[in-house]
Amino acid sequence: MDDMGERVLREIEEAKTLAGLDQLRLKYLGKKGEITALLKTVGSLPKEERPGFGAKVNALREVIETRLREKTASLEREALEEKVRQEVVDVTLPGNLPQVGSLHPLTKALREIVGIFYGMGFTVYESREAETDEMNFVKLNLEPGHPARDAQDTLYLTDTTLLRTHTSPGQIRGMLEMQGRLPVRFIVPGRVYRRDPMDASHSPVFHQVEGLVIDRHITFEHLKGCFLEFARGFFGPDTEIRLRPSYFPFTEPSAEIDVSCTICRGKGCQVCGRTGWLELSGAGMAHPRVIRNGGYDPDEVTGFAFGFGLDRAAMLKWGIDDLRVLFENDLRFLTQFEGL
Amino acid sequence: MKVPWKWLNEYVDLDWTVEETCERLTLLGVKVENLTLEKLDLSGVVSALVEDVSPHPSRPHLKVGTLNTGSRRYTVVSGAPGLVEGNIVLLAAPSSRIPGGTTIETRTFAGVESQGMVVCANEILAGEEPRSGEDIIILPPGTPLGLSAQDILDLDDWVMELDLTVNYSHCLSIMGVAIEASALSGKPLKLPDVFRKWDWAGPLGSRRPPDDPDEAGEWKVELPDPDLCPRYVGKVVRGVRPGYAPVEVERRLMLAGMRPISAIVDVTNYVMLETGQPLHAFDLDKLEGKVISARRARRGEVIETLDGEERQLEEGMLVIADALGPVAVAGVMGGARTEVSMETKNILLESAFFAPIPTRKTYRKLRLRTEASARFEKTVDPTAQPVAIERAAELIARYTGGIPEVGRTDANVMEPVRKSISFSTRVVRRTLGAPISAGKCREIFEDLHFAPGPVRKEGDFETMEVTVPPRRVDIEEEIDLCEEIARFYGYHRFEPKPLTPATPGGPPNKEYVWFDRMKDFLVAMGGREVVTTSLLAPDDLLAMGWDASDTRSTGVPLMDPLSSSESILRTSLLPGLLKVVSRNQSVRMPGGFFWETGRVFFPSTEELPLEALQLGLVMYGALKEGSWVEGESEATFFRLKGVTETLLRLMGCDASFLPGASMPFHPGISARVVAGHSTVGELGELHPLVKKNLNLTGKCALAWFSVEAILAMAREKRFSPISKFMPVERDIAVVVQAGVPAGAVVKIVKETARDLHSVTVFDVYDKPPIPEGKKSIALRLTYSPTDRTLTEEDLSLDRERIVKALRDGVGGEIRL
Repeated sequence: MDDMGERVLREIEEAKTLAGLDQLRLKYLGKKGEITALLKTVGSLPKEERPGFGAKVNALREVIETRLREKTASLEREALEEKVRQEVVDVTLPGNLPQVGSLHPLTKALREIVGIFYGMGFTVYESREAETDEMNFVKLNLEPGHPARDAQDTLYLTDTTLLRTHTSPGQIRGMLEMQGRLPVRFIVPGRVYRRDPMDASHSPVFHQVEGLVIDRHITFEHLKGCFLEFARGFFGPDTEIRLRPSYFPFTEPSAEIDVSCTICRGKGCQVCGRTGWLELSGAGMAHPRVIRNGGYDPDEVTGFAFGFGLDRAAMLKWGIDDLRVLFENDLRFLTQFEGL
Repeated sequence: MKVPWKWLNEYVDLDWTVEETCERLTLLGVKVENLTLEKLDLSGVVSALVEDVSPHPSRPHLKVGTLNTGSRRYTVVSGAPGLVEGNIVLLAAPSSRIPGGTTIETRTFAGVESQGMVVCANEILAGEEPRSGEDIIILPPGTPLGLSAQDILDLDDWVMELDLTVNYSHCLSIMGVAIEASALSGKPLKLPDVFRKWDWAGPLGSRRPPDDPDEAGEWKVELPDPDLCPRYVGKVVRGVRPGYAPVEVERRLMLAGMRPISAIVDVTNYVMLETGQPLHAFDLDKLEGKVISARRARRGEVIETLDGEERQLEEGMLVIADALGPVAVAGVMGGARTEVSMETKNILLESAFFAPIPTRKTYRKLRLRTEASARFEKTVDPTAQPVAIERAAELIARYTGGIPEVGRTDANVMEPVRKSISFSTRVVRRTLGAPISAGKCREIFEDLHFAPGPVRKEGDFETMEVTVPPRRVDIEEEIDLCEEIARFYGYHRFEPKPLTPATPGGPPNKEYVWFDRMKDFLVAMGGREVVTTSLLAPDDLLAMGWDASDTRSTGVPLMDPLSSSESILRTSLLPGLLKVVSRNQSVRMPGGFFWETGRVFFPSTEELPLEALQLGLVMYGALKEGSWVEGESEATFFRLKGVTETLLRLMGCDASFLPGASMPFHPGISARVVAGHSTVGELGELHPLVKKNLNLTGKCALAWFSVEAILAMAREKRFSPISKFMPVERDIAVVVQAGVPAGAVVKIVKETARDLHSVTVFDVYDKPPIPEGKKSIALRLTYSPTDRTLTEEDLSLDRERIVKALRDGVGGEIRL
């Protein structure tokens, strides 16, 4: 029996395949297996030999079972390892790429702008694009014949209606909608129209962002503080601003706001005409008559307003040198604004 | 407005550098857009004494001169009258240069060699031949010899080009800019005598000096239209000698951007640039009668202007007329008939106030914007007409030897107005914030030649009456004075102050948030946002195939469009989006998915057109090109439908797709999207006819939605508990007539089944063994009961109910 045990264990050790192991299992432990057969002979032995023989056969059977189990596990692992060895992909092949979309740079820029102004307690008010002469001009202190009307070559729809030349009528409409509540603090982003043929820096259709703050105790210093925060948020924390006196009939005092050149950081380059400054925004303290036209009492409240070109801001931010590409929608342009 | 640096410094001694001055003026609101150094190339041109003159041996009109530069003698041939023994002239010797890139060479005139030439003003200023009657430049006696022309004439200068806002009309003159510079620098204003005598800069404007003679001018002036011309001053100068202004005057005009003409015309321009008051000179002997009338033009009147153009005048335009008719378009340009010429002996100078708006209308109609009209349209100082004419008469007398009449004709119906504005430091504190004292304010007003009255204490603030000079037409009320304080205090000196935190201060904008979410989803779906113009051509709408009954077929027209291709407002985003497809196909992009949000416009019975916010989507070609791992994805109806129905679902909008949309959609491959009882959008493949019209190729699917309608339906999510029981799936296939929409089948299943979580169509099949004219729709039902585990019995009962409902509802037979 010891010989037999040795033989069986050797055969298990030498088995190469899982199928071979199965055959060995049948051969020794199956119903007609040799070990099974040995156990069957127990009954025919003399009574006193039976327990000793039985225990011996059972011990042998357990050893064989254990070995079979171990060998099976080892062969399975080898088979798996072999399978994994076979499974190789060329990782340099491109992945299954998802379709990626993109926001237009104007929307990307506007979102940043809106985010910055949200942080300062502004909301977004969208005003209409077709306007009355009254709202676009008269309520903003631009009476008929005012020379400043010429600077904004207007696209009229009828004698009294037009396509807004700036987002400023949104100041009046927004104030009226606020019905005297304080504080007034909103921006008006939107499309504006001028009678300018398309070229690298002009378009009959472009976009502005207007801002208006009306409250008690609002001064020129707040205008400066608010715009500085915006400029640093949008163009970067080391951005500086410069206010120069200017003229808009709906603000007094009025200012032109320059930001330090986004390209040369104020050192002077081609883009800023070597001045280190880029003209960005018109601004000023809300004119008392405009405050009154919005339904507020200029003796009680003061305020400031500003407005700048969204297209220009986006162009400066990303170094786009021709306005036309914004409206051509060439895929080779749009795909550049994929991403987060 | 161009300001030559030396000219400016004649009125105020600035000790800043020119660059520093530009910077400071810019920060004052007088924006210097350009600074250029204007140099004349005159190398080698030097002063020389005419030592000897003899006639040319064979040419009687020429002379031969011997010129001494102190170091050398030159022989020069010239016909100039100024080539006279003893004169000091400018010699351009061989190899010297004059402007225009000309290098002087030795030339031979009928056998006599000329070593260079003696030069006239036109040669050294413009590099051009002498003008008719122009003599060479004769330098003052005693001028050192051999000195370079540059050093003697001092003609090189910096020119500051100002970019002025419309309210800065007071800076449309060199003296006006000088006042600003003087107030800013604290350096005194140094005006020529005549301006000081008349107190041109003073708070009340120009006033007749005590010694001004009472004589009235010899010409009568009528002002029948005082609304257009309330003041007209005339002055006669007799015995003028024709000729040109001195070279330094011509140079200044050129630096300021004007062309020298003749001494008289140049003086009128010079004084205009100096004071801001435009002037005109008539040839007195060409005027008919003895009366000048500033009146409205009459029907059919015509004038030939100085530029040689014959101009049809419209009734209502202001003209200056003599007995024969118009001699000038008032404030715009003089007439040819009375033009001063080289034969002119006597002149009538004009210095008037023309009303701004009519002047602008006139020059626009005539398309004739001039330096004069640019000043009148912004309102000139109403008091400066006499002093400007006196200044001009003085200079004309100096340069032409003419004798001005004593006194002048001054027709004036304007009431003298003392502009007095009450000013309080309260406005400074409220508007500017910074604590600027009443004393500092007074100082600024005085520096600007305003007249601030005594300071009175009023509560916490101080007030004063400020008299503002009439030349400052931009200052009308207290807030305007406040701006002057801010400008001269310095915008840079105000501290930036943050807005104090507060509740958001605008109209509510919940919808804007949803709008952004919608955009984010479209980006996630691979859509590319585009921005197209709102201005279209009528043809763009025509190409869409809308018939006249469609509200989209006619856009709101512009009154005066730039071009017909930008003459109406868009009624839909689709034409613009199809142009994007066209553009990208033309640059060989194989496919794309674009979307845009924007306003569309419709005619309305209200004053303003109706504006609606739309979302437009378009896909064409291969959205994603095939790769080694996956085939290409094409722009089909169902691909776009998948995106849009998911969008609607995620926004929480309950909408259904009904077959068949209008143009420009393919009638059989399109759907109307309906919510409630209204169409909120349309979706489909592009109609082949439209595709052909627009020269597009390949697959193209597009859609539009009313953003307002979608946003109105948008709902925030509510959580619903997750079932503790396992979901169960069952498939069912039903055979129906080919024309039965799958939507109807799904609808019946949804309405009938119990505990149903979802139902999806996973196959549609119409080949054998399915009978001709029928189709099989295979559905997968997912049950998700919340209160129990479904038994086989529950499921087979539900199946029976569904089978019956499908048979009754759409005549469906079950396949499995």
